[in-house]
Amino acid sequence: MATDTPSEAGFGEVSRVRGIVFEYLSLGASVAGLLALGILLVYVAVDAFDLANASPEWLLTYFLTLVVPYLGFCLYSVGDPTVTRRAVAALGGGLVAVAGLFVGIETFVSPIPRLNWPVAYLFVVVIPLTAYLTYVGNQGRVGAVGLGLIGRAVGGAAVGLAVGTLFLVFDQFVWFLAYTFGVFPAVALYVYARRSPSSRAATAAPVVGVVGILLAVFARETISTYPSDLLIFLWTIAIPVAVVGERLVTARGGRTAGLLAGGVPLALAVAGGFLAGTVGLPGPDILVVVALVGTAVAVYLQRVIEDGEGLAGLALPVLLVAGPLVGALVVGAWGVPAPDPWLDVGFLTEAPSRNAVEAGLYPAIVGSVIIIAIVAVLSFALGVGTAVFLEEYTAETGLVGTLTRILQINIANLAAIPSVVYGLLGLGLFANLLGLGFGTALTVSLTLSLLILPITIVSAQEAIRSVPDEFRRGSDAMGATRWQTTKNVVLPEAMPGILTGTILALGRAIGETAPLIMVGAATTVFSAPNSLFSKFSAMPMQIYAWADFPQPEFRYGVVAAGVMTLLVVLIGMNGTAILLRNRAERGS
Amino acid sequence: MASSHDADTTGITRRKSLAALAGAGALGLAGCAQSSDGGDGSNASDGSDGGSDSLSGSINIAGSSTVFPLMSAVAEDFAADHPDVSIDVSSTGSGGGFSNFFCVGETDFNNASRPIKEEEKQLCEENDVEWIELIAATDALTVVVNPNVDWIDSLTVDELSQIWQEDPARTWDEVRDEFPNEEIERYGAADTSGTYDYFIENIMGEAGHTDDYQATEQDNTIAQGVTGSEYAIGYFGFAYYFQNPDQLKALAIDNGNGPVEPSLETAASGKYQPLSRSLYTYPSMSSLGEEHVAEFARYFVSQTTNEDLVAGDVGYVPATEETQESQMQKLEDAIEETQG
Repeated sequence: MATDTPSEAGFGEVSRVRGIVFEYLSLGASVAGLLALGILLVYVAVDAFDLANASPEWLLTYFLTLVVPYLGFCLYSVGDPTVTRRAVAALGGGLVAVAGLFVGIETFVSPIPRLNWPVAYLFVVVIPLTAYLTYVGNQGRVGAVGLGLIGRAVGGAAVGLAVGTLFLVFDQFVWFLAYTFGVFPAVALYVYARRSPSSRAATAAPVVGVVGILLAVFARETISTYPSDLLIFLWTIAIPVAVVGERLVTARGGRTAGLLAGGVPLALAVAGGFLAGTVGLPGPDILVVVALVGTAVAVYLQRVIEDGEGLAGLALPVLLVAGPLVGALVVGAWGVPAPDPWLDVGFLTEAPSRNAVEAGLYPAIVGSVIIIAIVAVLSFALGVGTAVFLEEYTAETGLVGTLTRILQINIANLAAIPSVVYGLLGLGLFANLLGLGFGTALTVSLTLSLLILPITIVSAQEAIRSVPDEFRRGSDAMGATRWQTTKNVVLPEAMPGILTGTILALGRAIGETAPLIMVGAATTVFSAPNSLFSKFSAMPMQIYAWADFPQPEFRYGVVAAGVMTLLVVLIGMNGTAILLRNRAERGS
Repeated sequence: MASSHDADTTGITRRKSLAALAGAGALGLAGCAQSSDGGDGSNASDGSDGGSDSLSGSINIAGSSTVFPLMSAVAEDFAADHPDVSIDVSSTGSGGGFSNFFCVGETDFNNASRPIKEEEKQLCEENDVEWIELIAATDALTVVVNPNVDWIDSLTVDELSQIWQEDPARTWDEVRDEFPNEEIERYGAADTSGTYDYFIENIMGEAGHTDDYQATEQDNTIAQGVTGSEYAIGYFGFAYYFQNPDQLKALAIDNGNGPVEPSLETAASGKYQPLSRSLYTYPSMSSLGEEHVAEFARYFVSQTTNEDLVAGDVGYVPATEETQESQMQKLEDAIEETQG
């Protein structure tokens, strides 16, 4: 077969060697890249969680109490004996292979620094296997239910914490007034209009909303007494969330279920918020988190119970909570030495410190979350707006067409400009000329938005361009205006692509350091920012500073913990965006 | 039928939610109100441990990366005692801090590892920024080589100058005959750094600084470079060497009176010459007019003699009692002048 000689029949035969070589070269390229990244992340994780000092007994305990039950759950969900057999074989064979290989390398080649074979086994076999089984387990009904439940709980908590973080900077009183005078009446009007079709109420809703919000901004100056934060969050966030949950469930499962799904989480949230407030915890934040988690879980539970399938999956949270508890009990009872991770609760809630053990990232985490929230809104609005205009509204021929093409080329070039240049631009334009201040949230966010704007524009354009023209023509043929076509046909079709581009761009923005240094963002701040104009630090800035601290504990422990935190925030953000995108894809 | 049933359901829920709202409103009236001046309600409890503390405001600090660890250590303690004062510290290099931030009136303090320069004074004057100079601590600028080399223990000032001057020695044996015939690899401070300026002024003088070296603001990078090669040499502040004495070998410096190794003692006694230097911070006069900045400056000067903090945690030489007294006097005079 593998020959260049033409055959008698007249059909030429081509050598396959080149094709095969190419295939293996590309395989090699991807493996080399992934392997290098993988090793880097393994070392960062080992440092962050102090796994180098984890005793084998400690690892074994948690392996038995947490990992094995979880894998069992996934396998139960798959319900296929072949998969089970393969998984067990992988666990057992992997153990022998990794231990053998590791010991072999250590004896014959060179000692591997800061790793031992149980940790290597964890990263090489257990984690990939867990990821794979999670994936296949999720295909089964039981696994889907369990993971869905966990996902909603974690997602609700993340959103709740993000909301709490945003209100550190944004004035909750303005929000309270805006909600009371603007958002609430507008939504009420809109709902009323939907009920009893009277077009006047529907058109009035946006007007009422805008007037109410403007009124709120002015009223903020004169009104000086407000309900407590707990009541503000109850009225503006917890109750609306509960009402939405109630509506969703009532539509599906009737009035009683709806009242339960809306009321129980709300009651829990209120109780939790008040109790937390009395013992000195941040009550309002807990109220929001409990309300969001509770409602999301309640709505999901009702759906699962109504479907009546895969109910066993509801045991997964119990498994995941009980596992570590039992593990901790065993470890405590046996006196097994536990590792002392750098990345712990204190790291996430404390301010930076000169002592590596006390050092925390809290102010920088808050800074990064707020910056990224503003950047997401700004770059999405500006990027999509520009892309829609360039793709849908400008002419393709004539003078305007030429101008558009020149503009296109410039935008594409802007994407390649080094970030330091954007930093200088931000320094000159936002900090100096517009007087938004050095290193404030506004300056930093605007600079980062500019930085990623070209990427969002180009990717949004690609997404819009990929919508087939037939769709537009079809919409035109039905007498739709260009605005209706864009709104109802083009944007919904293009949304998944637009979101993908925005996610990638945001990932770049959250990790940037150079422009932050240029616009004068602080290296270290000791308290969380409390307004848009206070000095900000961001996670990469603080990590960069720690990397230069003389003490080795900073370089090998605290920096790793910081990197892990940044990665988790990034993955959380990307995960949310990917979920949104998938939903948009399914919708269209 | 179905629709009327729906309407029925919604009617009741709306009524229920209205009732709930009324309940919430009643609770609000029942005394859960707050005044908007009270600030963030969730943080209100933080104020309790501040006691009689009424300081609030923000303090912006930039400047030398050498002084950065000391300043952020002091700021950390001050922020813990005064939760309403928000302090931010940036590491920009002495010169970068003066020209980009301090002398245009953007920061309250600028740290420097050398005295302010003439052109910086001018820039400050143009922008009407007045300042005073406070001594923060003493540093022993440390020259390091790879820990595995045994052919070198000390250098004279003249030899050091040959290595780093504008037209430098290319190989080690050009510096001293018994050194190996190997090319010199240099790792040093970037030209925005006060360490760079200080090194030129006290070692090379007119001869200037070579361009043939790896320039960086990060001590870590210098250390990495020097540990990577047996024929590398680098210099940086004492703190890094103090915290990692096994990773690098510090050279003794011979200023004509025999080689002296860098240490807290030799720097404090003034024997480690000419590389022991004062570190400074420059508060601006207009900022000292604000009570929280003035209080922070007082706290900073009072901490410059704190051995645990300056020497133990950071790795510099604490100020003597006399220096501290004179600095405090200078500061009090300045505060008096601005606050009237």
